[in-house]
Amino acid sequence: MELSRRTFLKSGVAAATAMAVGIPISRSASAAVAETEKDWRWDKGVCRFCGVGCGIQIATHQGKIVATKGDPDAPVNRGLNCVKGYFNSKILYGRDRLTQPLMRMTDGKFDKKGRFTPVTWEQAFDEMSRQFRKAYREKGPAGVGVIGSGQWLIQEGYAMNKLMKAGFRSNNIDPNARNCMASAVAAFMQVFGIDEPPGNYDDIEYTDMAVLWGANMAEAHPVLWQRVIDRRLGHPDMKVVNITTFRNLSSEGSDLEIIIKPNADMALLNYLAREIIHRGAVNQEFVDKHCVFCAGPTDIGYGMRPTDKFAFEAEKDIQAKEVEVTLTRDEAIALGKDPNQVHTVKQANAGTADKHWLVSFDDFRKGVEPYTLDFVAELAKGDVDESLDSFKAKLGQLADLYADRERKVVSFWTMGFNQHVRGTAVNEQVYSVHLLLGKIAEPGNSPFSLTGQPSACGTAREVGTFSHRLPADMVVTLPKHREVTEKGWHLPSKTLNPKIGSHITKIMRDLEDGSITWAWVQVNNPFQHVANANHWLKAARERDNFVVVSDAYPSVSAKVADLILPSAMIFEKWGGYGNAERRTQLWREQVAPPGDARSDLWQILEFSKHFTIGEVWKEQPVPGLKQEGFEDGKLPDLVAAAQEMGYRPEMTLYEALFETAQNKKYAWPDPVAKGHDNHTVKHLGVDWFVEKALFEEHAGFTRGHHHDLAPFDVYYADDVRGLRWPVIDGKETLWRFNANYDPYVKSGDFEFYGPAMKELASGNLDGPTTEEKTKFPGKAKIFFRPYAAPVESPDSNFDLWLCTGRILEHWHTGTMTRRVPELHRAMPAAVLDMNAEDAKQRGLQRQDTVWIESRRGKIKAVVETQGRNRPPRGYTFMPFFDESVLVNKLCVDATCPISKEEDFKKSAVKVYKA
Amino acid sequence: MNLSGILVVVRPSRVEEAQARLGELPGVEVHHVDPETGRIVVVQEAESVEEEVAALSRIKALKGVMLAEMVYHVFDETPPEWDAVPPELDSTEFPN
Repeated sequence: MELSRRTFLKSGVAAATAMAVGIPISRSASAAVAETEKDWRWDKGVCRFCGVGCGIQIATHQGKIVATKGDPDAPVNRGLNCVKGYFNSKILYGRDRLTQPLMRMTDGKFDKKGRFTPVTWEQAFDEMSRQFRKAYREKGPAGVGVIGSGQWLIQEGYAMNKLMKAGFRSNNIDPNARNCMASAVAAFMQVFGIDEPPGNYDDIEYTDMAVLWGANMAEAHPVLWQRVIDRRLGHPDMKVVNITTFRNLSSEGSDLEIIIKPNADMALLNYLAREIIHRGAVNQEFVDKHCVFCAGPTDIGYGMRPTDKFAFEAEKDIQAKEVEVTLTRDEAIALGKDPNQVHTVKQANAGTADKHWLVSFDDFRKGVEPYTLDFVAELAKGDVDESLDSFKAKLGQLADLYADRERKVVSFWTMGFNQHVRGTAVNEQVYSVHLLLGKIAEPGNSPFSLTGQPSACGTAREVGTFSHRLPADMVVTLPKHREVTEKGWHLPSKTLNPKIGSHITKIMRDLEDGSITWAWVQVNNPFQHVANANHWLKAARERDNFVVVSDAYPSVSAKVADLILPSAMIFEKWGGYGNAERRTQLWREQVAPPGDARSDLWQILEFSKHFTIGEVWKEQPVPGLKQEGFEDGKLPDLVAAAQEMGYRPEMTLYEALFETAQNKKYAWPDPVAKGHDNHTVKHLGVDWFVEKALFEEHAGFTRGHHHDLAPFDVYYADDVRGLRWPVIDGKETLWRFNANYDPYVKSGDFEFYGPAMKELASGNLDGPTTEEKTKFPGKAKIFFRPYAAPVESPDSNFDLWLCTGRILEHWHTGTMTRRVPELHRAMPAAVLDMNAEDAKQRGLQRQDTVWIESRRGKIKAVVETQGRNRPPRGYTFMPFFDESVLVNKLCVDATCPISKEEDFKKSAVKVYKA
Repeated sequence: MNLSGILVVVRPSRVEEAQARLGELPGVEVHHVDPETGRIVVVQEAESVEEEVAALSRIKALKGVMLAEMVYHVFDETPPEWDAVPPELDSTEFPN
């Protein structure tokens, strides 16, 4: 580039930056911006990456993205972006972008052992549907599965959910969001009876304290973290507390850092509840009016397989805990049992982990009574080099801060809580603390689950793409919910399968044991991220099955696939996301996808054309189905009922589910496009606006049901930067359950109106004592959940903790951020953060290459003792973005038994020189 | 080539010092300064994303810098010619 142009361009960049953040600039500088941006088309979008949902502006010129900037009008980020914002356009142009379908072939035919060969879309769908039929005819709806995503666009998730649940009548569809925030979801449902948080990001600007519970916001949610830091700088009384298992970047901006042992968060929260009671800090009026107390079983296992048939020899001792557990000393005390006796407990409630019942306040008080400062400090102190007195003082300070009536408090959490063998319980415990204090659902008082993915809330949860869910919080197991959904989808009665499908870890297990033989992965990389991956990599490659992976780049999952479908990326398609604060944001297609790459939505709709109603809506076997109104083990034939409704047996699923008369009313082209293209519509060869029709169809489920979305076009208005649902009479809802802000509150000052699970039996901490059920509409539940030890802890052989997670520069498994080749080198290989003393003891130095070995496998990595993360002795951390070091192979695939979310934070490993 | 507009925030009392330090970093030009709020706009020029990200880390590591985040990016590159089968898929090797 010539010098003068570059100089000029730089002045333009500088002036545009200043304008975006509101720094006044001169007239000549603004002229430079106008000149630089001449002929560019700017439009609003939303960042592709985490759950924060930052607004960005995208400039295109001659069919290519030429610039991006933080959107100054976006209330989430106010013009800022973190470094990942930068990749929003770079990721479209990576060197190894997939632009054609690729199938494993030998001599022109599909061959599981063959090499990837370019094929046409027609060939791809032919083989894909042939393989589907093979699995489906043999095993029925249970023999096929889809692994989806919290990065799915709302419309993509909606279409796939409908295709699987209404078309194929299979609930084997589950998003990677399962491993991100399923524990948060389960707790929302159990505590409030409705998903998604009461508060929003505005709470940051109203609060006096932010407490991070297992959330390294500085790395994982940097723009929100910036808002926290801004609040702290401008508000001298504001306190920030970082509760973590190791020192990290968020400690820098904190007033108090509390290093705890893995799973000790449960004990700490019970200590806080006990202190609140003992100090007389319970907001009695609030609790009496708005809360009930609950307890649940503790013998619930760890979400592992009930058999060791598929376990490696070395993992059998851990797997055995699924059946029977010997309580640790701390667990015994925490349950009020004699610690000097051996307590062996059969895990009788492994299959009924989510049941719970009402208890009295007195039962709750008894439950938390053992959690004294002395007991909890001993149990929870995570840094062996910290004195007990120092740690106790910190716990006291934390209790002082929470219990202070004048102090508003926001508790933030992410994967430290959610990826936890008792993830649902620990989420519930933090609500218990807020509810006891009455510090909830009002500006500045907010327990807030941060999400990891851009549409975990908007797609995975609201659309209902989990194996047990239907749109708008409904579930497959309830007849009323199936009925509402069947009506909304214009389906014959009993189309929907009432049996919960396989969650993501189970889909992997099903592939391994052969119960699923056809799987389709979209918008995620499960063969890299799912724990204990050695099993699943082998299952994909060596079992007789067919794995399809839609991706933009050759991810690990693509590499083990039989068929790779090239996908369009974020701004190459029309779409929408819903972020962690319930904000829905939609965008237009900005540029065309490269080569033959197509949107995931186009792929779903094209695939649906390959099946007729006559072949899928006949009687289907569903092993294990037992539900009132259904014959055991089968779904009824629907063809006659469908014909009465106007369907013909030879109709395709595309015609029956997608190209409906209602949907065709949304014409393409549409003025809202303002000249932007739509490759999905173009390649389908239709004249209806697919994305708008599906959005409106989905929105129909939300409206009037606590989740109301605004009309499609509203989100595209120039002055709208997303709207927080429920949107009622054109207005977003800022604080739910609070009469001052939430039109759904019908009576009183607060009303926790979520309808789910609001009728329960009563009992005591040991179990229900009556059959009789009590209704308690409008109330939230305060759960007692006792401390439980991790399923696996270091021992003399595997003597260190391993925690895996995310870092700032890379997103998840790095499929996108590692594509930018130079960045690859900036963080070439993930390093293992360990304590310098631990390294020394093992004869290791910084930068040494080591083996990290668990019961489930071993990998090589480089040791770092002076990195951003500073683990205490006995603890190590490694990020999971690096596909050359598949660290999640080492993790135990134990889950929270309620949420089925894996615990990536607590595996035992040994580290030795390679 | 990539150009990024970066917002740097320092305490107002340290604006001058920060301005001087920023000016010493490779590829960094200080363009706008708002002394009252401690906000500084710099432009970072880099040949590669690696340099760009490393440069941002250097800015963040400067003494007194409370915030440094990218706001604006301009790309001046031609998209690559894509292979039908990327080299890493042209192998029967099992993922590590």
